[in-house]
Formats: sequence, C-alpha cells, structure tokens
Amino acid sequence: MRHPTEFMEDYDISRFKIVGIVGIPPLTVIRALNEAMVTIHDLDARLVTASIDGVSPLLPKVYCAILRTVVLNAMHLKLDAIFIDVGPGKCDSALHVSTILRGILSVPVIRTRNTDVVGFGAPISKARQDLTEKFLAITEGVKYAMPVPCQFKPCKPKAGFWGVPPRDFSLLEPFPPTTHIYGWTRCMENKTPANEALEAYCNPKVPTVFFAQSFCAKTALAKFLADRHPMALFMDVDFSTSSSAMAKVQAFLELSGALS
Amino acid sequence: MILADFGTSYCKFLNMADDGSQPTILSTKELPGNLHVDLATGHNGRRFADRYVNELIALARGGEAMIASRDYVLLDCGSRDIKFVAYTNGKLKDMGWNTECGASMGFTIELLEKYYDLDYQKMRAPDKTFSVTCGVLGMSHIFDAVIAGMPVSAAVARLIKGIALNAYRFCGSPDRLYLSGGLCANPVFVGSLPCEVVPLGRYLLLKGLARYAEYE
Repeated sequence: MRHPTEFMEDYDISRFKIVGIVGIPPLTVIRALNEAMVTIHDLDARLVTASIDGVSPLLPKVYCAILRTVVLNAMHLKLDAIFIDVGPGKCDSALHVSTILRGILSVPVIRTRNTDVVGFGAPISKARQDLTEKFLAITEGVKYAMPVPCQFKPCKPKAGFWGVPPRDFSLLEPFPPTTHIYGWTRCMENKTPANEALEAYCNPKVPTVFFAQSFCAKTALAKFLADRHPMALFMDVDFSTSSSAMAKVQAFLELSGALS
Repeated sequence: MILADFGTSYCKFLNMADDGSQPTILSTKELPGNLHVDLATGHNGRRFADRYVNELIALARGGEAMIASRDYVLLDCGSRDIKFVAYTNGKLKDMGWNTECGASMGFTIELLEKYYDLDYQKMRAPDKTFSVTCGVLGMSHIFDAVIAGMPVSAAVARLIKGIALNAYRFCGSPDRLYLSGGLCANPVFVGSLPCEVVPLGRYLLLKGLARYAEYE
C-alpha cells in the first residue's frame, strides 16, 4: 500500500487553486493545501442547489445521501482536483465513489488513507452552544490543518448526539445547547477520523441519539451502541429529515429529561 | 381550554372548561374549515391550534396518565400510522413511529368492513394469517383468497391478523401490550395480538394533552 502522502510526488499542488475533499484526508495533505493557499471545498456538505436526481445515472438511489451529495457537488463545482479519503477513517463506499469520480471527471481524483493518530482534542464537542453551530464549526474545521478554535465554554452534558454530521442539519435543531457530540463527528474535531475507540465512546449517563445516514455502514455501530445504552434512540435518516424522524427526536429529548 | 387529537380519519375533542365533560368525536372529512382549538396533536393538528404537541409526546403523556405500571409498552394504532413508547422502571426505554410501512392499516381495516359490508363485532380472530407488509399491499391477498373460494370474512380476518402481528413485532413483541386507538374496539384485531392486551380506548392522546397542559 502506498503511503498516504505519496500523492505529493505525483501531483504538483502549486497547480491547484480550488480542490474538493471527501471525508478527512490526512493532516499532511490538508497542511500542504493550506500552505499552498489552495481553496478547499468540503464535498460532503451541501454546496450546490442542483437536484440530487442528477446523480441517479451514476449511483443507485438507495445509497448514502452524503456520497450522493459528493458526486452532485463534484459534477457542478469547478475544481482542479479532488482528495477523497478511502481509508478506515471514511468507508468502502467512498472507495467506489472515487472510481466513479475518476470515470466522469477530467481532473485528478486522489485517494488518501487517513490513519492520523495525534489527537487535537474536542472542546467544541463538549461546549455549551447551539448544536448546529457546533456542527458547522467542526465541519468547517476539516479544511484546516490547525485545531478548530473554540470560543465556547465547556458544559456538563444533558443530551448527546452520536454519529456523523447529518446531511440535513435540521435534525439538530431540537437539541439543547448542552448537547455533547460523540462518534465520528468528535473524531473529526480531534482530527483522527480512524480512531475506532473514540468513535465508539459515549456517555451512558446522558440521553443520546445514535445517528447514522441510511445505507451507511455506521448504522450497525450506531444500533449496537444504542442497544447497550440505557437512554438511547437509534435513528437513521436518508436525504432529509422526515416529520416523523423529527418528532421522534423531539419526543425522545423531552421524555428522557434532556430538555428539563 | 379545548384539546383536540386530529387523526387521519377521526378527530377527537375534549373541552377542559366543562367539569366531567366527555370527549367527542368527528369524522375528519366533516371538520369545519374555521375550527380553532387551544392545544392539539395529530398529523393535521398544526392547522387548527395555537399550540401543538407531537403525537409521540401526547402518547407518552397519555400513558403516564392511564398506566400505573412502571414497565410497559404502549402502542397506538391509527388510521395511517402506528407508534409506540416503551418504559422500564418508569424511564423511557424505546419508541417508534412508523408512518411508512405501517401506512394506512387502520384505514384499510375500516375500508374493508364497509366495502364488504362486514361486522367485526361478530367476527373472531383467525388461526391463520396473511403475511402482509402493509394494509394496501395486503389487500391483494384477500382478492386472491376470495377467488380461490375462501369466504370474504375469513380472508379479511387473516389480513387483520397479519396487520396486528406486524404492529406487535414493531413495538418489540411484549408479553403485555397497552393498546390505544380505535382498533381497541375491534375484536378481530385485539384477538389477533399474541399477548395480553390492555385496551385503553381511542381517547388516550387527549388524556396525554390534558397531562401536558397540567405540566405547563
């Protein structure tokens, strides 16, 4: 297997002005892009307004909504290259998506395998602040090699959100500001996306929603952890948050005492 | 204060201002357009109320009001959806709301009674069942069975049993099930559930709203 940074020998980063990233490429990659003043777009996020149906010729409809969004972004954004993490910090589906992107794009699609182990900490995940704002701060942080600055104060958790950043952030709205973030999102902030132990960590004393995108392999871990947690709600959501999914979160938070 | 549970097929009302007042019920298709209540639940409730409580919360609060046990599973079977809450040691353990695959089960059961001119009160739960994924798709089993010579009432009863078993599995297959909704009055449905059933009637969500109003 090639070292994650070997790509640098193959590609002249100074040629790139705007690149897309998928997942969390290794810190060496992000640092090199930052030093070269390259603009980074996080292709996991919702960046274009085009209909998701546009990816139907390329991906099954029953497929991870994040990766469908990645392909949609890649089809519509003008990029010089894409760095897509396909290692243990992302998923096998991203590997296959990288093959598709290589098939449809004329720009380099560079695979990386992030196995970074140096933790940067997760102060945002443990802070008192609107949950959506915390997620925005953490997801924005993947574009930078430096730690995500945290301007918020820490708090004791009254609720927990375990999982990946949902494609539809409206799912986060019912949570109180005292919600702690666990799972892969905490790994994102810590800049160690392949840290299995950190990903599996949760607090059994805190009512927690265990979330995964529908059709994502992480649904297995989410359900496994939720089954063993004394105050848990497991849920998977596909493209957007349905009214019943939202109602379940609202009811869970109220009935478990997280809002009192 | 007027409380209302705006269901898909029926709407239930309770006037808290009248001591000892009893809930009233109205077909949803007969709802006056200018109706306005103080506190509502149900999928259609936001249109008609100042304040809205989501159905799972109303169900759970209704369970608190009507169930003495600290360990229970409470299932509400509506026209269009099914939902449940499960409590252990007085704490929320699990919940679910199936608006998709359980779709239209109550509606389908009522539709079949009218279409085939059946009287469920004179029918019993069958021994055998149809394997059904939802009410609408399950109807084709009835048509096939009737063509093959099965009496309509027997075929419909098998469909109802299939729906009841789906609902039972959805809420975790408990030994004892507290049941809410109009299907409490359907002996075929209740008798098809393979556990002890405690019917709580169709006004439990209203009681949940009343409990919710007390907390405020």
